[in-house]
Amino acid sequence: MSPTTRVQSVTCLGCGCGCDDLVIELAGDRIASVSPPCPLGRAWFGDGRVPWAVRRSGEDSTLEAALADAADVLSQAFGHALVVLAPDVSAQAQRAALALADLLHATVETATSDPAAAGLLAAQRRGRTAATLGEVRNRADVLLFWAVDPSARYPRYWSRYAPDPAGTHVPEGRAGRTVIAVTVGQDRGPAGADRELALNPDQEVPALSVMRAVALGNRLGELPPPLQRAAEIAGHLVKARYSAIVHEAEPGAEPGRDPYRAEGLLGLAQALNGPSRAALSSLRAGGNRSGAEVALTWLTGYPMAVTYRSGAPEYRPASRGVAAAAGEAGATLVVGAASALSDVFWSAAGRTPVVVIGPRASETRSPVRVAVDTGVAGIHEGGTAYRMDDMPLRLRPPLPAERAAVDVLTALLAAVRTRAAARAK
Amino acid sequence: MTAPARLRIVGGAVHDPANGIDGEARDICIEDGCIVADLPAGAPTLDARGMVVMPGGVDIHAHFASSSCNHARRLIPDEHAADPAPAPRLADGEPLARSGTGGSVPSTFTTGYRYAGLGYTTAFDAAVAPLTARHSHSELDDTPCVDGGIFVLMGNDEYLLRQIEAGERDRARDYAAWLLRATGGYAVKIVNPGGVEAWKTGQRNVSTIDDQVSGRAVTPRAILETLTDAANALRLPHPVHIHCNNLGVAGNSDTTLASMQAVAGRRAHFTHLQFHSYGGGGGQPWSSAAAKVMDYVNAHPEVSVDVGQVMFGSAMTITADAPVEYLLYKSSGRRWTNIDIELETGCGIVPLTYKEKAAVSALQWAVGLELFLLSQDPWRVVLSTDHPNGGSFLAYPALIQLLMDRSVRDEQLKRVNPKLLAGSALADGLAREYTLNEIAIITRAGPARLLGLRTKGHLGVGADADVTIYSRDADLATMFSTPRYVIKDGALIVEEGHLRRAPAGRRLRVAPGYDDALLPDLRRHFERYSTVAFDNYPVADLPGEPVTTA
Repeated sequence: MSPTTRVQSVTCLGCGCGCDDLVIELAGDRIASVSPPCPLGRAWFGDGRVPWAVRRSGEDSTLEAALADAADVLSQAFGHALVVLAPDVSAQAQRAALALADLLHATVETATSDPAAAGLLAAQRRGRTAATLGEVRNRADVLLFWAVDPSARYPRYWSRYAPDPAGTHVPEGRAGRTVIAVTVGQDRGPAGADRELALNPDQEVPALSVMRAVALGNRLGELPPPLQRAAEIAGHLVKARYSAIVHEAEPGAEPGRDPYRAEGLLGLAQALNGPSRAALSSLRAGGNRSGAEVALTWLTGYPMAVTYRSGAPEYRPASRGVAAAAGEAGATLVVGAASALSDVFWSAAGRTPVVVIGPRASETRSPVRVAVDTGVAGIHEGGTAYRMDDMPLRLRPPLPAERAAVDVLTALLAAVRTRAAARAK
Repeated sequence: MTAPARLRIVGGAVHDPANGIDGEARDICIEDGCIVADLPAGAPTLDARGMVVMPGGVDIHAHFASSSCNHARRLIPDEHAADPAPAPRLADGEPLARSGTGGSVPSTFTTGYRYAGLGYTTAFDAAVAPLTARHSHSELDDTPCVDGGIFVLMGNDEYLLRQIEAGERDRARDYAAWLLRATGGYAVKIVNPGGVEAWKTGQRNVSTIDDQVSGRAVTPRAILETLTDAANALRLPHPVHIHCNNLGVAGNSDTTLASMQAVAGRRAHFTHLQFHSYGGGGGQPWSSAAAKVMDYVNAHPEVSVDVGQVMFGSAMTITADAPVEYLLYKSSGRRWTNIDIELETGCGIVPLTYKEKAAVSALQWAVGLELFLLSQDPWRVVLSTDHPNGGSFLAYPALIQLLMDRSVRDEQLKRVNPKLLAGSALADGLAREYTLNEIAIITRAGPARLLGLRTKGHLGVGADADVTIYSRDADLATMFSTPRYVIKDGALIVEEGHLRRAPAGRRLRVAPGYDDALLPDLRRHFERYSTVAFDNYPVADLPGEPVTTA
């Protein structure tokens, strides 16, 4: 029987909560248990085993030969390559991928979902009032869950951040907080709330407008019942010491989310800072998706949808989309978990050479030119990942990596640089 | 061509005030990245005859490598689109450079290249939330050409406030030391002491240094005293770096002077003093209080300041002083970002334009110039625009021109809104013109000395071979915006005004000692209130060795 070892303070990227208090028990080279128990955490870590293959056109290859081929393919697509920042790699690997994109004058797409992108664009139009998860935990005496129940996709938000834990300004924990659940169509708020509001999807933005008006102290006329209820809830927010409006920034169950939801939530949170204090807590998916946006921003000024085609970063949010970009690309480099990409992407990308460097690259369901398996950020690879609130977290991998994504990308970068230097002469 | 290990810079007019050299034609010799006394005959030479030679510039206070800056970058896609920055073409054999974007908050590589193009070789990010230090170091990794470091925000930190409340000032000092080590920080930073914590509660802000913070037994005065004493007791190379309460408020000079008096007799650095030197308030119109504030600074050698000059044009206000940004948002109607950060500090961001015809902008511009022109000791009153708050670091040459050339200053004075300038020293006519040596002091020698950087800001034997060489030009703004040569650690990085090399910068950080008895209590605090594990909090694997304490 294999000896058991424990690794403490491990960071989980199974969702955007970025819990870094996990204890992993290893039995030999496998993960035997994950605690505290969390279904997404268990799924994220699994037993820790990943493939470590290197493939070229479907055949086993040496890493050197695979990277030389990848460098050739990508260099030949100079000016019309695509780099996709897929999930599950560290910020250091994302940074190396962006160095490649810059060198190749490539287009960059991230795994940012459409609703999340809408939120980023809305925040660029008007700014945002937000708080880190620690502030929500320690200060929020009123929590408004807007069309989201975090229990399914962010299982520990409730117990680790709010409303359950005691905080510096909320020593009673849940008993010291008011929880308000807002349901919009199929997107339900959490059970067990102190107050509730149910809206049809077409009532959502009007309700947010009414609530903002209340926060601004505007006089309101007679309102239909759901909006009157929304106004009453806004009154509670105004009286809060510190309210947190928690919303799902990723796709929900309701198929046609109102495109103005993000703007409405941002406006409401900003307005509440007149009479009170308020922050918007945007729930984002895991796998270091936030890290891709953060690194892209420090390197280009833009959080997503960038092309280096002209020789300097340009923003193209109106035509963003990994599948559309793949259709225009001469070659594609996927950095991260390719399994996160849609069939539409593969169908568009499959016409040209695709290089995949990341966890389980060799298990990519579509044929690719080069596949290099690496470890998973936080399981086999260290570095930094970003939580949903853009806080950087240390990754403390419980298992060793046979091949780290950042090292593979750095080697590929060197090979592409050599070709670029030759081209420049 | 690779950078020569040896180089003799021949015959330039050397301005090296730290070594008492004021424009003498001299040779400067470089070997293995350092200044040396002499070189053998036949060493490579660089002809600098007729040119002006200074140490590389040292920026004591800017915002360019932080999570807050990244939030600001995200807020201005319009500015980035208007200022694309293709990768500069470096010398043959050099690694390919990186592209980026500019605007008031450029991307990281572009920031490094532009600092180098300006002749600056060292810069500090002046406000980093401890929890985000890991991010700042990532940005610094991607900011080439400048040696850099971070100042760590502590003036509203929950654990620190608790120690002050409990009278545990020794533990507060140990915590400051632990935090500097954990974050790879260089200096202790205070922003609006207690005011940011008040912003997060119903109190919203403090208005005097003796206000209680959110009903607790803590005042801004106590925070100032505790952290000033801590930085001095720890013998940090740079004293506590203070952004006073009431930034940008009419009549705030009383608060500024009270803050200085609170730490009288102790080394302390007061930052962007321009934003804290206003008269008026209480029903009276805004006015300049620069003379009153500078009288105090001139008379107290333990005090140093950077000015935080406002320059007309686009700017980006980024500060941990979140309540100020709320007021700015309400008054300007511009985009507003606020991020409350983890029981540590805050972050507020509002894009802004300073206009000649706006009365308050004109007053701010005048107050900054007055501070410079009334200063009796350039070693203690050094240059900053609080980049990008008062203007970009790219505006430094224009500011230098204003300081060196009264006629340029007077011409601009004729154009600005005079409404609030009655009684200001500038409007009354300040004839002083800075000399080249004084410029060398306020942009290099002074900041380096205030930062305790023994090998920066001068060209004596043993100094880092960071050298900027300017061609003389009657237009001083042109002269200072386009150095002919810039040398970093002995390598020519700017030649004939073009960036040719872009070496990685070194990290400047400290590692003061502390009493381990702090740790059990601190760990308990983390376990109760933090969302980051105590063991994961410190930033590991930082490059380079810490700078030794004074």
